[in-house]
Amino acid sequence: MINIEGLSFKYPNTSQYALENVDCQIKQGTLTLIIGPSGSGKSTFLRCINGLVPHFSGGTISGKIDVFGSDPINDGPEMLASNVGFVFQEPEAQFVFDIVEDEIAFALENMGVTRTEMHARVDEIIERLELSSIRYRSIHEISGGEKQKVAIASVLVTNPKVLLLDEPTSQLDPISADQILRLCVSLKKNTDLTILISEHRLERLLPYTDNVIKMNNDHNLNMGSPSQIIPHLQNLPPVVAIGKKLGLNPLPLTVEDFPKNVSSNRKPGIKLVQPVLQETNSESILEIKHLSAQFNQEPILKNISFSLKQSEILVLLGKNGSGKTSLLRSILGLMDSVGEKFFKSQNFSDLPITRILNQIGYLPQNPNDLLFAETILDELKITLKNHGLEKTDQDLIDFLQQFKLAEKLNQHPRDLSVGERQRVALATVTIHDPDIIFLDEPTRGLDYTAKNQLSLLFKEWRNFGKGILLVTHDVEFAAGLADRVVIIEAGKIIFNGSPADAFTKFPAFHTQTARIFKDSEMFLPEHVI
Amino acid sequence: MKNAYIWVLWLINTIIFVLSTRNPIYLLLVLIVLFTLGNHKAKAQHRKAWIGLNFRFLISMVLISSLVNGLFTHIGLTKLFQFPENWLLVGGDITLESLIYGAINGLIIGSLYLSINIFNLALSVKQLSRLIPRAFHPIGMTATLALTFFPSIQQRAREIKEAQMIRGNPMKKISDWLPILLPLIVTSLEDAIILSESMTSRGFHAVSRRNNANLAVISLVFGTFSIFSGWILNLYAYPQVISIFLYVVGGSIIILTLIKKGSEFKVTHYHQVPWQKIDILLSIVFLTSIILQIISAVFFENSFSYSPYPQLSMPSFNIGGVLLSAIPILPILVSDHD
Amino acid sequence: MKKTLTGILTNIFVFLIGLLSLLAPFILPQARNTEIQSSAFPIVVSLIIILCLAIVFIETQSSVLDNKMIAFLGVLISINAGLRFLENAIPGPAGFSPTFFLIILVGYFFGSRIGFLMGAMTMFVSGLITGGIGPWLPGQMITAGWVGQTASIVSYINNKLHLKEKFGEVLVLTLFSAFWGMLYGLIMNLWFWPFLGGGAGSSWSQSASLLENLGKYGAYYLATSVIWDITRSIGNILIMLTMARPFLKVFQRFYQRFSFHSEGSKPS
Repeated sequence: MINIEGLSFKYPNTSQYALENVDCQIKQGTLTLIIGPSGSGKSTFLRCINGLVPHFSGGTISGKIDVFGSDPINDGPEMLASNVGFVFQEPEAQFVFDIVEDEIAFALENMGVTRTEMHARVDEIIERLELSSIRYRSIHEISGGEKQKVAIASVLVTNPKVLLLDEPTSQLDPISADQILRLCVSLKKNTDLTILISEHRLERLLPYTDNVIKMNNDHNLNMGSPSQIIPHLQNLPPVVAIGKKLGLNPLPLTVEDFPKNVSSNRKPGIKLVQPVLQETNSESILEIKHLSAQFNQEPILKNISFSLKQSEILVLLGKNGSGKTSLLRSILGLMDSVGEKFFKSQNFSDLPITRILNQIGYLPQNPNDLLFAETILDELKITLKNHGLEKTDQDLIDFLQQFKLAEKLNQHPRDLSVGERQRVALATVTIHDPDIIFLDEPTRGLDYTAKNQLSLLFKEWRNFGKGILLVTHDVEFAAGLADRVVIIEAGKIIFNGSPADAFTKFPAFHTQTARIFKDSEMFLPEHVI
Repeated sequence: MKNAYIWVLWLINTIIFVLSTRNPIYLLLVLIVLFTLGNHKAKAQHRKAWIGLNFRFLISMVLISSLVNGLFTHIGLTKLFQFPENWLLVGGDITLESLIYGAINGLIIGSLYLSINIFNLALSVKQLSRLIPRAFHPIGMTATLALTFFPSIQQRAREIKEAQMIRGNPMKKISDWLPILLPLIVTSLEDAIILSESMTSRGFHAVSRRNNANLAVISLVFGTFSIFSGWILNLYAYPQVISIFLYVVGGSIIILTLIKKGSEFKVTHYHQVPWQKIDILLSIVFLTSIILQIISAVFFENSFSYSPYPQLSMPSFNIGGVLLSAIPILPILVSDHD
Repeated sequence: MKKTLTGILTNIFVFLIGLLSLLAPFILPQARNTEIQSSAFPIVVSLIIILCLAIVFIETQSSVLDNKMIAFLGVLISINAGLRFLENAIPGPAGFSPTFFLIILVGYFFGSRIGFLMGAMTMFVSGLITGGIGPWLPGQMITAGWVGQTASIVSYINNKLHLKEKFGEVLVLTLFSAFWGMLYGLIMNLWFWPFLGGGAGSSWSQSASLLENLGKYGAYYLATSVIWDITRSIGNILIMLTMARPFLKVFQRFYQRFSFHSEGSKPS
């Protein structure tokens, strides 16, 4: 078992504790879910268990940790390596080798395991995790979900007692994320591995979770069973929120838990509220007509037509490979396409994107790609300079208010949290007051609070008249925002209409609410009274 | 023929032969052999225009070499024309012989380049890394990481460039590259931290447990100096025996040091390169060829030499030379298993 | 940087031996009576250079190369190898090479040993990637290694002159990179020279004096590569002026945030 007593830790050059006087015990074979807002110490906590903190990070630590007889504080991560496996958040950044099976064998090579034994163990883990089809492939060719599977395989190959996962699905699309979480569940069910996983996507794991650890802002934690911790969270998963609203006892934690009689609407006293459709009669800012594109002789966009109006948030949904990204890139001129593109009735189909740049803002998938200046203020000024505009410092401070960044304007963008950096990037691509804003997966790696803040911001912009095109996998986020939804599949638009229809009639994009109340028009917790 | 060691033998054999002959017939034969073998390998890996690229290189080497030698060396009997004697360095006769001599040098350079190129084609990065002595494990790991990361860094650079362009970056001056290079390096270095955490968590230690590096370094220095002195003494026409002694001493010290250092890294290798019968056969052929060439060079006059000086003449050839020129083709007979 | 006696001595040794090997054609023209020796000449020089590289590698491995540095260097080398492709893809004047500024800055900030590794391994890895490994690779590796290695001297100078954080710092770095722009070409040609010659009636003659040989080399250099080197120097100047300060700041932030082993080099 894992025993932690009086653990306190401070990163170097800071006076604030990251963890203060933490005590907890984790039994063998349990699945422990670690939740909490970003910056609350989840990653730090996990790294204490295998010794990366403090050996790798530096800093001062006190207290005792016992991991199945090993002492990570004194022994360090290399000694713990055979007993504790660690899977990181970035699928790409973990790989040493090019080929999948080489990567899996890496840990064994470091331990000087004999060749025959190595082959046996690698074969076994590949079999167990169903990786045979990609065994000889390059890691650059496989999907994000497959990469994380390989990462898990490369630590399980040493037969560890403990598996630590630090937000393993935050960079993945929902299908890949589900793959990984199901793998964790299967590991929990079929082995006596002790699993600690820090996650935002709770649903798949909750039925099998033994403990939940909630990291608090006071650098300590609460630990208990799921039913003890989850209901008291500030940001409730939709299922729990609805359950609370309806006064259900015991509180259901997952969709399956939800009592069938309630969800089929037979219990008296529950009024269903129909969501109000928001119709706008405003001008269309962006019109796309008959857009088609090819890649390597393969058609990837087929005759796409749609429009985006002023004061509208349009959400673009689609599976991986459906063509969403290609559509966005075609509109932005990053990819060749045929068809007509109109911006406010001005035809920009053949113009280079640079001509209409000052009318559009584009937030790429990795907002870090944009940031390079020393302060937030400088970042804003760079965009202004590029567009030949000028604003006073005071204007910029006022502008930053809506992003809740005004007090941090002289800070280095890279020192900020993930959510804050996201907003800095967003600020830099909107400082020139564009009429259209394109957003590509803006919620990656964000916690609930950050997502809520983004949501409010977008709604404010929409109310101001801007048109927003949002490409996302995050169905819950989109449901709370969308005025209209377009669904793409295999390069064609298969749906263009109201959010209610999108989130209730397409199983791939059902929200939790929609899954609870099947065949209804409800898709958000607010819709339930 | 996947084993790296066989290819090393092949390479040594080819290089020795190429360097020891100035006979254009043999060199041309070797070049034909190399182009054939190289093309075969390049096609298998879908590399386009391999022959074209390398042929252009060969021609340019021949031309440059020919010109340089022709202009600066004024030996030979067939005068083509003459620069005034008082012209600095180029003054004097420009002879056909020196042009030919230079051209032959070009052929040699081209052959060397081709053989190394083929060596690189034949072996994957993983196989090449097996050649690196275990003493250099951490450095080898650095190179491996650099290679593994390369495609993703290229991809990321492209994404950053697009994002910044849409943000309005005109991409005209050098300073316009800063918005691309800076985020690239910052994000990549952040990834490097995660990578090193991942490696550490899987038991990789870079710094070997015992740290008697000083001793290792000193003995390597000693060994290198020994070899260096042997070479210098040889050049100054001291008895061959002394040089050979110094070479052997230096070489042994170095090899022993590397073995000792290597044993400090308790690393095993996942990949096992199988030795097949044909592999053993080929190794014997290459090894024998190497040994025979060395013996004949040391004890007999070089029977594969040729000189265009003082007067240009037709080069002769014998069966031994032709055979040696042809040996490098052997790998083509073996298909790559696996 | 914590310089050990061994560290300093090996640096000097490697430098001397490498240099001597390169200059051998000029200093020892009376050698090479037999064809075998002269043909073996470039191979022996390569071998000695490889041995020198090995010495520095072994020394660095046990001193400054810990897990973090390995990953750091690996990534930096990867980026630099990519920049080397830009060298071929950019329609700039020939010789314009964005590779060197990173090597210099890494050596400047992290110390001579890391700088050496950065230079040598950039050449090695980009050679592997392009498949363009020529027999001159050892020469490229050690020369590029020297670029990185000597950059730490600049750091020492800048400290003494109290130029850190001022424009003067960038200026000195720029001059340094211009200097190496020329010197790199000069040395690489020295390296190439024996391949073009050797043997009776070669590009230098056995009986010629040192001066005459130098002269021939000078002419060869002028004819072939001086234009390249001048554009390379100019390129280096422009690049260093623009990139030095921001990149040094990046290194500084990373160094502070992720504490490196005390065994490693600290920024001087």
